[in-house]
Amino acid sequence: MENEMGKICAEGFTFFGKSNRLISHELKNIFAIISETMGLLDELVALSEQGVKLTPARLRSMSDSLLEEVERANAVIRCMNTFAHSVDEFIREVDLNEAVLLTIQLIKLNPISKAMKIEFMRDGAHMIYTSPFFLENLLYHALNFALSAAAAEKVITVSLFADGNHAGVEIAGIAPGGVKAFPTPQTELLVKTLGAEISSDGSSGKFQLVLPQKLPQGPVEALLAT
Amino acid sequence: MKLLLVDDEEKFISRLAERLKLRGYKADWATTFDDALARAGAEKYDIAVLDVKMPSMSGIDLKSKIERITPGIKFIFITGHGSEQDYDTVCQEAICCIIKPFKIEALVEQIEQALNS
Repeated sequence: MENEMGKICAEGFTFFGKSNRLISHELKNIFAIISETMGLLDELVALSEQGVKLTPARLRSMSDSLLEEVERANAVIRCMNTFAHSVDEFIREVDLNEAVLLTIQLIKLNPISKAMKIEFMRDGAHMIYTSPFFLENLLYHALNFALSAAAAEKVITVSLFADGNHAGVEIAGIAPGGVKAFPTPQTELLVKTLGAEISSDGSSGKFQLVLPQKLPQGPVEALLAT
Repeated sequence: MKLLLVDDEEKFISRLAERLKLRGYKADWATTFDDALARAGAEKYDIAVLDVKMPSMSGIDLKSKIERITPGIKFIFITGHGSEQDYDTVCQEAICCIIKPFKIEALVEQIEQALNS
């Protein structure tokens, strides 16, 4: 059990670190755009002082662009803040919609994923009692796997379902035969930790993460008790 | 003096190109690999300034492809990843790696050093 707890902690720290790197990279890109826009604006104003024409339309376009980047940065920081609150209460009621949405936002910060499309069909509230942080960790791996194994269309669709004592996430759009490689060894521990199951028929290009309504007794609860 | 600038952030790379033009450089820019390779095939550039991480392909892979089209071209990498490990890896592949956001003078200094080396 101790070894298992150690592995879960290590996995969680790695996920937290990766997410912070993605956020930092995105913010640095935004700062770079703001820096170049301000630099160009400064140079165009200096040129206009020497008689080179600077039109109001050009100024407005650059001003709008700065506002857009501030909005973009604000969205990234909102995502960072929501993610940081995932560990406020280690086990609590979680709306699967919110967990999926947040994880997609994190994944979309990765430049590599920008060439792909993730379509999420939001549904009515799907509340489960689980660890939001490790749920996001599992969703992160599941969605990254789907992106890496996506069919030629490069569109991954995510939807939710509920079934008696379970709720779950269906991920589709994987190339034929690609589903067999999931769960990866990296994710097996998270699947076990959350009392989840992976369901797929191999040929359909989709798999389901089936989650219990209530997290069973296991390493996460043990971790909190120690 | 011809520069090819490649980064998937269009606003960033187009404005950087405009600022370099104001300083007397001929600077073309691209936001995709296909466009970058097409430009490299159509024009002989002295230096390529490449983003390290972009959708579809890494800047290091793009460097290899451009090198095959334009032997002798020099490379400068730019990146938003600030870790020492990333920095060291990328520095081995180019004249230097500049971390975003940067002052344009830092890039100009590297461009001039590359041209005079």
